Amino acid sequence: MANGLDPHTVGLLSNMSIMALLALSAYLLLLVGRISFGQQAFFGVGAYAAGILSSMFQAPIVLALGVGMAAGALLSWLLALPTMALSGLQYAVATLAVGELARIILSGWHWQVAAPHGWVGPDGIDGFREIRWLLERDVTPAHFLGWIACALLAVLVLLMRTERTRLGVALRMTGQDETLAATQGIDVIRLRLFAAAAAGALAALGGGLYAHRTTYIEPALFDPMLGVHAVGYALLGGLGSALGPLLGVVFDLGLLDATEVFHGWRMVIFGGLVALFLRWRPRGLLDERAVQWFVQLSSNKRS
Amino acid sequence: MTQALQLLIDGVLSGGSYALVALGLSLTFGSLRRLNLAYGATAMLAAYVGAWLHAQYQAPVWLVALAVVASAILTGAYVERLCFASPRVDPTQSRGLPVAGADGQEVVALASSFAIWMQLEQLAVNLLPRHLNTFPSLAAAQDWQLGELSVRPDRLLIGLAAVALTLGLAAWIERSRAGLSWRATAELRIAAHLVGMPVARLQAVGFACACALSGLAAFAVLSLDGQVTPMFGMWMLLKGLVAAMLGGLGSIRGALWGGLVLGVAESFSQELWGAQGRELCTYGLLLMVLVLPWQRLRRGPLNAGFA
Repeated sequence: MANGLDPHTVGLLSNMSIMALLALSAYLLLLVGRISFGQQAFFGVGAYAAGILSSMFQAPIVLALGVGMAAGALLSWLLALPTMALSGLQYAVATLAVGELARIILSGWHWQVAAPHGWVGPDGIDGFREIRWLLERDVTPAHFLGWIACALLAVLVLLMRTERTRLGVALRMTGQDETLAATQGIDVIRLRLFAAAAAGALAALGGGLYAHRTTYIEPALFDPMLGVHAVGYALLGGLGSALGPLLGVVFDLGLLDATEVFHGWRMVIFGGLVALFLRWRPRGLLDERAVQWFVQLSSNKRS
Repeated sequence: MTQALQLLIDGVLSGGSYALVALGLSLTFGSLRRLNLAYGATAMLAAYVGAWLHAQYQAPVWLVALAVVASAILTGAYVERLCFASPRVDPTQSRGLPVAGADGQEVVALASSFAIWMQLEQLAVNLLPRHLNTFPSLAAAQDWQLGELSVRPDRLLIGLAAVALTLGLAAWIERSRAGLSWRATAELRIAAHLVGMPVARLQAVGFACACALSGLAAFAVLSLDGQVTPMFGMWMLLKGLVAAMLGGLGSIRGALWGGLVLGVAESFSQELWGAQGRELCTYGLLLMVLVLPWQRLRRGPLNAGFA
């Protein structure tokens, strides 16, 4: 499928798809009215879990990714239990602490087993090398990009279908006005816990894919800047639809980072834009109104 | 025993630096009820300006200190304009925020200030691209010996300055008329506006003061280290946040206690479990302060206000 692409483009597209998964996990929490600066923790947990299963226990990659997602969801849910009842501000600070705690714990974790070509496993601050599942099975990066794209597409379709269900409406309603949602009989805390678990799973999926793509992960990768970027993509792209975070990723990684024109000024532009957007278009480029406009436009054409 | 005493002294002294760092953050929260995540980056950019002056023109220490404080105030004014100035829109007409509910505006300010954090950090790195940059130190550091205990004089000076500054500021806010009007705007903006206080100006001045303090704190901490790295912004924000949260965000004297608790806890955990244990202890403390129910029982750290 993607054999015609050069390695640079394949790498960029893979990175963008993986970051989109992380941005979608931040988006899911923003949807229920919570800002999390700690999604990188679940990204890291997913990366480690999937890497351990596939390189230390030779599990098939689908199983490894699945277990990674389950670990991410479980951990995210457990951590949300005591923090979700806090105010939005306290929650944001708590997630920052959780993210850093996860990074530090991963930096102190040593667990290696013998493999044909040496020792593999997490090695503290030196990271986790030789996640060679793809290399051993001759999966090319372009081929793997196809898998990543399929995963992203599945997630997008799932999220956009959910939007139209009662669950989707309840999620959005909780984010818009939690008091109103509660008076309508929505269990706000439970719904937010569910969103946190789902967001953890999404971030972990991204992490698992990332670990296999790069074959090497280290705790320092999962620093707060990663989580902050994910939130930034969702806020810039828009909260009106699951395509919003994707737009944010395409804008930052595809336009600012990939074109050399903005070298050294990427963060200046990106950060400034996010702040300006929050001031004048608080729900991002693709907000609810824009989504409605597109929907109307397409239905007019059809009739 | 001597070793424990030495650890205690070290902890208390580094706690002084933490208190200084937490002071500006707590002051911003106290007057605006907003958390400024660009706090560390603002101070870092200011410190980079100072380091640049020092490297380029061999500026003397006092000029560097002045430049750091001045550029912190300038950068802070930009941050305040973009993230914290009250928007001139009718609140009933708002089209919805990313995060609604009672604290919607607070969280929006939080999010936009982190965006500015990335921006300022990159600007600083563009100014001085090297990883390590020398920063002028206050004085040649020769440890003072007291029997088996040793104390760095510049650390002691900064610790004492932190105590004096905190207590002085707290007393000023409690006693003076300006402090009273400041507290009034923090307590209830509408009421303060109705009795004729220039709310927006008071808050802008409060923000500028907090930024000046952050510049001062950055200068003090960096002159101890003699160098500044791109990690400084994150360090300053996180340490300040933990210390301010421990003492009750928004409380001036609390920043001092929070800084001391953090300093002592870090110094002992570093001795017991090494550098990673120290970091673990820092963030564990932060999470505990937020999650444990006793905080909510006694009016909660976020409701403390000026005290």
